[in-house]
Amino acid sequence: MSRGGVLVVWLVTVLAVPGLGAPARPPWPSAAAVVAAMLTAPALVDYEGTKVLSAVRGDRAETVTALESYKRLGKLRLEFLSPESVSGRLIVDDGASSWQYEPSYHLVIRGPSFLRPPGSPAQAQEFLRGYLVAVLGAEEVIGRQTIVVAMEPRAGGAGRRYWVDQATGAVLRMEERDATGEIVFTSFFTRISFGLNLPSAVFRFHLPAGARIISLFLSGDPVDSPAALRRQSGFGAAMPASLSYGYRFRDGTVARYGALATSAATYTDGMRALTVYQTPSSKMAFPRVGIPVKLEAAEARLLDLGYVRVLIWQWRGITYALAGSLPAAALQVIADEIMR
Amino acid sequence: MTHARLQRQLSAYLDGELAPAEADEVRTHLAGCTACREELSQLQHVKALLLRLPERSVPRDLWAAIHPRIGSPPTATVESLGEVVRRMLRRPALALGAAVLIVALVAVPLVRGRIERLRAGEIGADLFVREHALASADDPLSDRAYLGLLIGDANLALAGTPREESQADR
Repeated sequence: MSRGGVLVVWLVTVLAVPGLGAPARPPWPSAAAVVAAMLTAPALVDYEGTKVLSAVRGDRAETVTALESYKRLGKLRLEFLSPESVSGRLIVDDGASSWQYEPSYHLVIRGPSFLRPPGSPAQAQEFLRGYLVAVLGAEEVIGRQTIVVAMEPRAGGAGRRYWVDQATGAVLRMEERDATGEIVFTSFFTRISFGLNLPSAVFRFHLPAGARIISLFLSGDPVDSPAALRRQSGFGAAMPASLSYGYRFRDGTVARYGALATSAATYTDGMRALTVYQTPSSKMAFPRVGIPVKLEAAEARLLDLGYVRVLIWQWRGITYALAGSLPAAALQVIADEIMR
Repeated sequence: MTHARLQRQLSAYLDGELAPAEADEVRTHLAGCTACREELSQLQHVKALLLRLPERSVPRDLWAAIHPRIGSPPTATVESLGEVVRRMLRRPALALGAAVLIVALVAVPLVRGRIERLRAGEIGADLFVREHALASADDPLSDRAYLGLLIGDANLALAGTPREESQADR
């Protein structure tokens, strides 16, 4: 066959078989593999980067910039840069305690760690039971190749989208959308460096000379059933073992701060937490925060912090509060369920 | 046992008042917790300072003064309530003072309880947000920087210096 003939055959074949002429797309990993990589990343990589957080709080959005450094297996340092109201705040979490320094008050607040051990690949299966996880494609974020995954709770509620670094499993970007599809929270790195093996000294808190120290360890030992929580607190109603949207009881504790004692029942849908608080109304005036909301049997107030929403109401001598990342309408459904 | 619970037991641990199993648990926790080691070190320092205080001896004549009075019939110092009331009515200023004292004893706890209730109403939402953010840390896909921001803001509010105020002050 002549050279011209070969060219014609190739051209016809390429046009007839879509995608044959395009460079081969590498196969995307499965959803389970991406989730497993996300869970195990904190055990594998150190990083240091600049992160931008934006949350819709009611009718306004707040953007916060922070330097985030992480050392495996669970040490964190956050230095907040902006806005002015948080600029200079330093949080060091060594996995046992967290230390918060507020330079404008020359104040140090010590409290429990909010880091947990890295997840395991087995946990990925737990996620997949409660969430619909789909790989949407690949995208470049700050010059790194990422896999984009969407996670929607099977029982309904807010969905999340993650941009997962293909090389490390670290999340470089994240979005949370409400039930209407509106983005209510975003978090993304504008710069990140991996595998630095950061020195341990970066994650050690050094007490500034003359700073005032406050310790805030407010929660007692957790209990593992609603009945045990009721016994421990001595007030309120025994909470159900499960709630709508696939939430089931995880643990309970009584938190005390000064004269205020509140029982906290924490539920989980396999990933996200939902906490139900009960406080005797005789011990706490009704908080005048947020916007008024009507429930079936009570008036309530909704405090929307973007990532977290709190619904508060009083009923039969108890002040209830629901805190979670569920949309406001879903919190109202659960509040009505608790009062039935 | 949690960090907070173990921390409350440090004093008893130092004084050797814990059961062997509890002491072992505290010892294990101390090996991995810098904060508790520092706390223990401070407690040891305080204990050492207390031990350095001089011991005062009891006055020799104290027992001699007390002993004869044990078992003796009550003296006129114990008066009937009626007598006290009658005596007070004869002196209006004393009666007024006593009335004020009684009212104060009743009112102070009431007022204090009311103030504490109002304060709890002010900080309640911050306490809920903080404890929920700590509970959310179990979600491995939560954003740690945002949890830190929420906890930090709530901590400031609980400490009596909420972030919004600091912004306005500047």
